[in-house]
Amino acid sequence: MKIERANILVVDDEFGMREGIRRLFEAQGHRVETAETGRNGIDKGTAEEFDIYFLDLKIGDIDGVEVLGAIKAHFPEAICVICTAYASIETAVETTRLGAYNYIAKPFAPEEIQLVFDRAIERRWYILEARQLRAEQERRLLEITQEKSRIRTIINSIADGIVVLNQDEEVVLFNPQFPRLLELDKELVIGRSIREVLPEPYQELIADIFRQKDSLQALQQEFIIHPPAKLVVMANTTTIRDDQNRLIGYVSVLRDISELKQLELLKSQFVNMAAHELKAPLTAIQGFLEMVVDKTLGDEPETYDNYLRRSLERSKTLITLINDLLNISRIQAGKIRREIERLDLSQQAHSAADFFANEIEKHELTLETEFADGLVIDADREEIQRLLTNLISNAIKYNRPQGSVTLRTSREKGYARLDVSDTGIGMKPEEKERLFEEFFRAKNPHTRSITGTGLGLTLVKKIVDSYAGRIEAESEYEKGTTFTLYLPLAER
Amino acid sequence: MKKKIMMVDDDYDLLQIYVPVLEKAGFEVATANTAAEGLELFKTFLPDLVMVDLAMEHFDSGFVLCHRIKTLPEGAQTPVVIMTAASHETGIRFSTQTEEERKWIQADEYLDKPIPPRELLAFIKERFFETPESQQH
Repeated sequence: MKIERANILVVDDEFGMREGIRRLFEAQGHRVETAETGRNGIDKGTAEEFDIYFLDLKIGDIDGVEVLGAIKAHFPEAICVICTAYASIETAVETTRLGAYNYIAKPFAPEEIQLVFDRAIERRWYILEARQLRAEQERRLLEITQEKSRIRTIINSIADGIVVLNQDEEVVLFNPQFPRLLELDKELVIGRSIREVLPEPYQELIADIFRQKDSLQALQQEFIIHPPAKLVVMANTTTIRDDQNRLIGYVSVLRDISELKQLELLKSQFVNMAAHELKAPLTAIQGFLEMVVDKTLGDEPETYDNYLRRSLERSKTLITLINDLLNISRIQAGKIRREIERLDLSQQAHSAADFFANEIEKHELTLETEFADGLVIDADREEIQRLLTNLISNAIKYNRPQGSVTLRTSREKGYARLDVSDTGIGMKPEEKERLFEEFFRAKNPHTRSITGTGLGLTLVKKIVDSYAGRIEAESEYEKGTTFTLYLPLAER
Repeated sequence: MKKKIMMVDDDYDLLQIYVPVLEKAGFEVATANTAAEGLELFKTFLPDLVMVDLAMEHFDSGFVLCHRIKTLPEGAQTPVVIMTAASHETGIRFSTQTEEERKWIQADEYLDKPIPPRELLAFIKERFFETPESQQH
């Protein structure tokens, strides 16, 4: 608790005073500066902050009171000791009122000024200490403020809605996502009871928590905000307890799981439809076979020929359906392993058409082709073949005898274009609209004996989409259909 | 006079299975492949019993057709059986399973597919035609 090397300024017009004080304190290891005029004293005394100022009250040029005023104005905490020859009470009172720390009457003995100095320097030490503490505190406060604002920023940038409530169910903290997620129409205010603004399902959740507040640690609940009913929110609520394990409030984290729910729904719909579609051919097969086994229509084996043939057809469909389902789920899961290579679309179409030569002949159809050169695409051969096979087999299946199937390739603005046309039964506009829907099959008198899975075109579209291509259909009922697909040409 | 049964199913094969069996048992049978066709056929054929598949153009086409028939003056008294491959134990649930919706549909019976042809025949005879006229000639 000591200032080892104090800085001292002596302002006095008497040489003897200046030198006397200098000698005394320099000998103790302090630094002493002097000024012999009031002007000089103000200049030196305001240029740096000295620990102790000794000021003469009666200087030649300026009144010592003025010097004191100037220094105090600059350094309000400066310790100024007034040295004055007329040691009257009034002068002392006046200078202390102006901010002087103490005064000493001239002439004085070294012990006297030493005593004044010792007390002043102690005072100075306290001032410096306090100043340091204050600075430290300010720094900490700043840190805390920064920390708080950092946490605030983090909480605000979380995509989930967060709300903290005290045990009186009053809002303590929330982020902007919270009211947005709940689509609150009333303004959320800190200190306000949460029940006033919450939608009903959420209020019940809170009531639940308070009913079991002693045992409850955390609660997870889904609820639908209405209106609009599409919004499904998952609330994760956790109690906040103090060090005595007393409930002091809780924090609730809300997540919008509407999309997830929608996906779940789509998935379960797909599974339901798949199950139904798998069951349909089996139902038919079982029915046919039961008739054969029970000889429902008599003992003539020929009676059942057609039934057995249909059973075979339907079981083939079933296999195709299962393959299609597997392929779709593989594409959807992004699990397909592709071997991308340079392929000539015309060549691919040509070889796919070759594969169907017998089928085309059997259906009394003619095949017409028109292939352009140099339509190079980067794709997986197997996928392109699957796509072509699906389109060509449709063009055959949904055709009519003596009709034709046309395959045409051409180049169009960075894309390889393929048209697959038939002269078949065509589609009604409402059927065309649902064409790429999973399991959709056109049902009209022409399609009754045509087997299919309802997944072929879904699969085609998924493949085309995955190559950033596109597929279109043109159709006229009872006239024919043309599928046009565009696949990006490979970059050279 | 033969009793008349109308069967509506979009699976042509199933009609191939059931129709000969019913005809052999002495019923007069007419068929349709869609709900719309079924409704038109009903008005002209005026059957004594209607058998409808549930999922045709839409998953609930059978429900809608049943409701339409039951709300026709000539259809109010005609029994309707809804047949579905979506049996309850497969976990497939239609939104039309509540009491209110059942009242709207007004189906007399629900049958799970597949049902063997002779079982279907036995069921129809017992449930709707206790003393079928077909047995009298």
